[in-house]
Amino acid sequence: MGIIAALDIGGTFTDLVYWDTVAGRGGDAKSATTPKDLSIGIVNCLTKAGLAAGELTDFVHGSTVAINTVLERTGAVTALVVTEGTRDVYAIGRGNRPDAYNIFFRRPRPLVPRERTFEVAERLAADGTVLTELTDEAVEAVVDAVARSGAEAVAVCLLHSYADERHEARLGAALAERLPDRYVSLSHAILREYREYERASTTVLNCYVGPRVSEYLEQLEELLEGRGFSGRLLIMQSNGGVMSPAIAKRVPVAMMESGPVGGIAAAATLGRRLGYEQLIAFDMGGTTAKASLVTDGEPAISHGYFIGGYAEGHPLMLPVVDVVEVGTGGGSIARVDEVGALRVGPQSAGGDPGPICYGWGGKEPTVTDANLVLGRLGAGRFLGGEMPLDVEAAAEGIRRQVAEPLGIGLGEAAEGIVEIALTAMALAVRAVSVERGYDPRGFAMVAFGGAGGLHACAIARDLHIPTVIVPTFPGHFSAVGMLESDVRHDHVRTIYADLDGLDWERLEQIVDDLLAEGRGRLVEEGIEPASMVLEVDLDLRYEGQEFSLPTRVERDELAGRDAGALKARFGAEHQRRFRHSASEEAVEVVNARVVARGRRPGLELRVAGEEGEALTGTRPVVIDRGGTPVDVPVYWRPRLAEGQVVVGPAIVEEYASTTVLLPGDEMVRAASGELVISIGGTDR
Amino acid sequence: MTAIDDNPVTAGPATAGPATGGSATAGPGGSDPITRDIMRQLLPAIADEMASDLQRSSYNMMIYEVRDYCCALLDRDGALLCQNVGGVSHFVADLGVVIRDAIDRYGLDGFRPEDGFVTNHQRVAGQHLNNVVTYTPVFVGGELVCFAVVRAHWIDVGGLSTGFGSGPGVADPWQEGLQLDQVRLYEEGVVDEKVLRLIADNIRFPESSLGDMRAQFAACRLGEERVAELVGRYGLDTFRESVRALFADSEERCRRVVADIPDGEYRASAAIDHDFVDRDTPVEIEVRVVVEGSDMTIDLTGCSLERRGGINGRTLAAPYIAYKALTTPDEPVNEGSFRALRVDIQEGNFMMARYPAPMGSWSTALPTVVDTILSALAPAIPDRIPSAHMGTLGGSIVFINTAPARGQAAVVQSVEGGGWGARPFGDGESASVSVCQGDVRNAPIETLELRAPIIVRRRELRPDSGGAGRYRGGLGLVTEVESRVPGMFTASATPRHQCLPWGLWGGLPGEDTRTFVTRRPGTDPVETDVRRAAAEAGGRVLLMTPGGGGWGDPLERPVGEVAADVVAGYVSVGAAARWYGVVVDEEGRVDEAGTARLRAAGASGAGPAGAGPAGAGPAGAGPAGAGAGGA
Repeated sequence: MGIIAALDIGGTFTDLVYWDTVAGRGGDAKSATTPKDLSIGIVNCLTKAGLAAGELTDFVHGSTVAINTVLERTGAVTALVVTEGTRDVYAIGRGNRPDAYNIFFRRPRPLVPRERTFEVAERLAADGTVLTELTDEAVEAVVDAVARSGAEAVAVCLLHSYADERHEARLGAALAERLPDRYVSLSHAILREYREYERASTTVLNCYVGPRVSEYLEQLEELLEGRGFSGRLLIMQSNGGVMSPAIAKRVPVAMMESGPVGGIAAAATLGRRLGYEQLIAFDMGGTTAKASLVTDGEPAISHGYFIGGYAEGHPLMLPVVDVVEVGTGGGSIARVDEVGALRVGPQSAGGDPGPICYGWGGKEPTVTDANLVLGRLGAGRFLGGEMPLDVEAAAEGIRRQVAEPLGIGLGEAAEGIVEIALTAMALAVRAVSVERGYDPRGFAMVAFGGAGGLHACAIARDLHIPTVIVPTFPGHFSAVGMLESDVRHDHVRTIYADLDGLDWERLEQIVDDLLAEGRGRLVEEGIEPASMVLEVDLDLRYEGQEFSLPTRVERDELAGRDAGALKARFGAEHQRRFRHSASEEAVEVVNARVVARGRRPGLELRVAGEEGEALTGTRPVVIDRGGTPVDVPVYWRPRLAEGQVVVGPAIVEEYASTTVLLPGDEMVRAASGELVISIGGTDR
Repeated sequence: MTAIDDNPVTAGPATAGPATGGSATAGPGGSDPITRDIMRQLLPAIADEMASDLQRSSYNMMIYEVRDYCCALLDRDGALLCQNVGGVSHFVADLGVVIRDAIDRYGLDGFRPEDGFVTNHQRVAGQHLNNVVTYTPVFVGGELVCFAVVRAHWIDVGGLSTGFGSGPGVADPWQEGLQLDQVRLYEEGVVDEKVLRLIADNIRFPESSLGDMRAQFAACRLGEERVAELVGRYGLDTFRESVRALFADSEERCRRVVADIPDGEYRASAAIDHDFVDRDTPVEIEVRVVVEGSDMTIDLTGCSLERRGGINGRTLAAPYIAYKALTTPDEPVNEGSFRALRVDIQEGNFMMARYPAPMGSWSTALPTVVDTILSALAPAIPDRIPSAHMGTLGGSIVFINTAPARGQAAVVQSVEGGGWGARPFGDGESASVSVCQGDVRNAPIETLELRAPIIVRRRELRPDSGGAGRYRGGLGLVTEVESRVPGMFTASATPRHQCLPWGLWGGLPGEDTRTFVTRRPGTDPVETDVRRAAAEAGGRVLLMTPGGGGWGDPLERPVGEVAADVVAGYVSVGAAARWYGVVVDEEGRVDEAGTARLRAAGASGAGPAGAGPAGAGPAGAGPAGAGAGGA
């Protein structure tokens, strides 16, 4: 081992975190993102951190290049090849209008127009048997049509290709032979799961971003190699794992959400290290707050989501870390609407113009302004004192735009802004825990992002979460997560059969195929057999249900053909999640899934402390709702000693973050630097 | 305060005095504004959580795909505290009558903790019997706080047929199926096994429906827990004060929108061809909308009276949906959302039918009624009213497998969607479910074929089905399904041949719905108006759903947009010339001279409708160019 670096390119900043495993020390650097030429930001970060590319063993990279390509609609000219009779399935989608009363709703705008969607004469039945043969003539005709269309990328999505891939494979081979410079994706190779619209959308997304992402990764590889890098480049994925650039070029759609998941992966790793297996990761930044669940040390995974939101977005059905996001961040704007209701977010002042107190021209009060007025944020301590905040202007904004219209006092108005933001965030935390059938009383919350520590203890108290952990590097936590994330690949195959009448040999064959695929990917990634972990889940449901629950199985137990045991395990999970189960109901197997992990070594991240007295003084802070300011002790985090205890109410400040302890909360600085807070009024 | 919120259904001819508007100036009441605004977030979240719980654990496609359900909390007086977002729109704010009826029957002191009730009776609920309501009283600290309520579509309630409901030909509720009239199924947590058995013995797929019922009650219990948490935290007085303040807010939001609509009396009319039984008499839809300041009255008293076919219902869904869409489409629904609306509808109107009128197809006419109400207001607010949409409940296809093999479903179904009307600023959306259906999704082809021995031969957009106009109506769909075994198809479409989805301001109507059946392979498809058809192995049904109406004069549509539609295949070469006066080939090459000639001559189809909103006056025939009132 040597030096591992992780680089997270966000919309505003490029963050770099590194750790020297030999010397046992690390550091970080931040640089403005340079959208026109990302490499400038990368080089700046390396230079700032004093790192030479040649000394890095692993370089992990998370990037918004894929998602931005979709949101900005700047992807490849893509063609779509589908089964006869289904030309419009991709445009029709599911026909729904989630905004029920909006008569001016907008359906998702397809990334492939109708005139570049081509039908091919072929047809499979649901069990994979051929109803209409795919002839050479049909293949030739559709390849000709694709060639004439001027497409740079070609998505192929045939009906029931999850059951039998041969027709898609033949088309893939013909396209590769005749049009070798085109980027081709076959739906069964991207997502071998039933539901043709969602599979087509996922495959189209892969094609749409494929050429641009591939080019980007090639440039990155060249840049690093040109600077002497000879280590392993790894790309962050939406599923919380990392992958090689070679695989990322084939399945770029897997890196769509590679930015935000880093912090959640880091929370999982941190929890494992500190002995907390059940966690809620809470990330609050400038525009949004995000909550995710970690159970048994692994981030909860959702099998798909919608890019651009449920109502108008494109479905992408690959595994993604399950994140619930709400539009309340530090920059969220508070306003009183036309009937006198106080609203916070989703409009955000962001970093430009930013909250009023930044003095950058922001005119509308934000959550950050409210925290400043309440004294929870220190005017002279922001960014370690580099950026003084204007309390008077913040107070004036809140007074004029919130307190006066509501007929309440300034303190009450500021408190109200924070409370409404807290309510929205608590709902997000509840959505990933209580609504998934988990009791937050058994969880610890890892709070990060610039504003996480300001609000975490209040949310935890609200939901009876007994412990809050504020990690080291809370502002770069996403990059920290990338340093340590495992290699991960997900494989799925639709089966669709009654558990009772199951063809067990077929199931075993499919599971073995998936395991072989997973192992093959890990070998391609250069993972040693000893570091490989393969897990099998069966998606089960009661007959007639649509949503299935992944149920963990061991490969070896399948030989025992014990349907009863599987059913019982599924029933228990259903009971936990939905409060009812039905032991007499027939159970269906829908999909088999394999998660293939290549473990990467855990790191003992520590930050060097500062000498001196941690208690830096006191300042008046409003702690209780409707309360008056009380003098509260303020601590400088880098000077906290190992094992030092701080009892709330108290404020703990650091370079880019502030943690608020409420009365009854008790914080201990862990040996590895984290702040571990026992929340008052909960069963610890 | 008005005829509507007091008791819309039992108040007799609902012509009581107008809304007083007293709460327009009401402040936040006694609760502090911050608590009220927190409650504003938390209450709808409870209903939404109940809904996601129900949807993910239900057993039938009508719930998890069609989302044919609603979840709500209602106050001790039946006032709506919150309702889930999404799902079908026509359940909006219609559970109050059920709860008020329950209170009348049992008395407020007649409920016990952990009781559970089930009802679908048309005397009150006024929908098809498949829509079964479960509710539980919510007690906190021994006091009845509110009710948690879930309505969901069961796949079967006995009767003559199964699936989407009995259909319009069923003459009365006894033929339609099992009637449950406010039955107390759980007494203090103990289920009445005899009632359970009675239900199970009288429906076709008891395991499915009783599974749904379990899921419904589980969602109710979840709602109870959340209310207990909320009241536990803020106290009952604060809870009630906040709720009152939220109602006042909702009303005020609506009033502000209505106040901006010019005062006046606006009318429009449309019709459904027939009620499926009396095929010679159209079901008339006559709408009068009166705007006066911030008050709106929607007068439906001119509509047809109760009919022999099952098109009847007891519902205010159509005026409520139209009002909601016009006023605050993005705000959560509560009792205040409709306090500034008055609906005039008399007992015996086909939408306020009296038990035991047949109600098997209770929602069939509603999308058309919504369109008619909206169109009435087109002269008042021309840039906020789209042309008519397909006006049917989505064009559903059901396949009934009469002898399902192991692992096959007995019934599969899909709601196909159709074209929406063009907007004052853009083309209509294609292939989308109706204004009554919201977050209802079609069934994937692969799901249908995995579940049942059928082949979906095609599901594609229907060229030329969108009404021509400066902005084009959205396209309908063509869906063709083949059976691989003997079975039964139901293809439901609202009969609107006489009254096509109309255009506005010179826009032309969308294409009509059409259904073809091929009973056995090798025979010719036969166009049919019959809902149900037996098919042999290899038999097919082909459903063409309607397109939306156009908006504005088609001759004013830029030539480039017409050519692009031709290249995409949305508009044929012939239709481009006939309706738009554009001479263009399939590659999009435009003959400029020919186009100029055709456009100068006014093309062939766009002529008379080219002038403004026909009859824009207050008592005129409505703004429709073609189609509306055509019956």
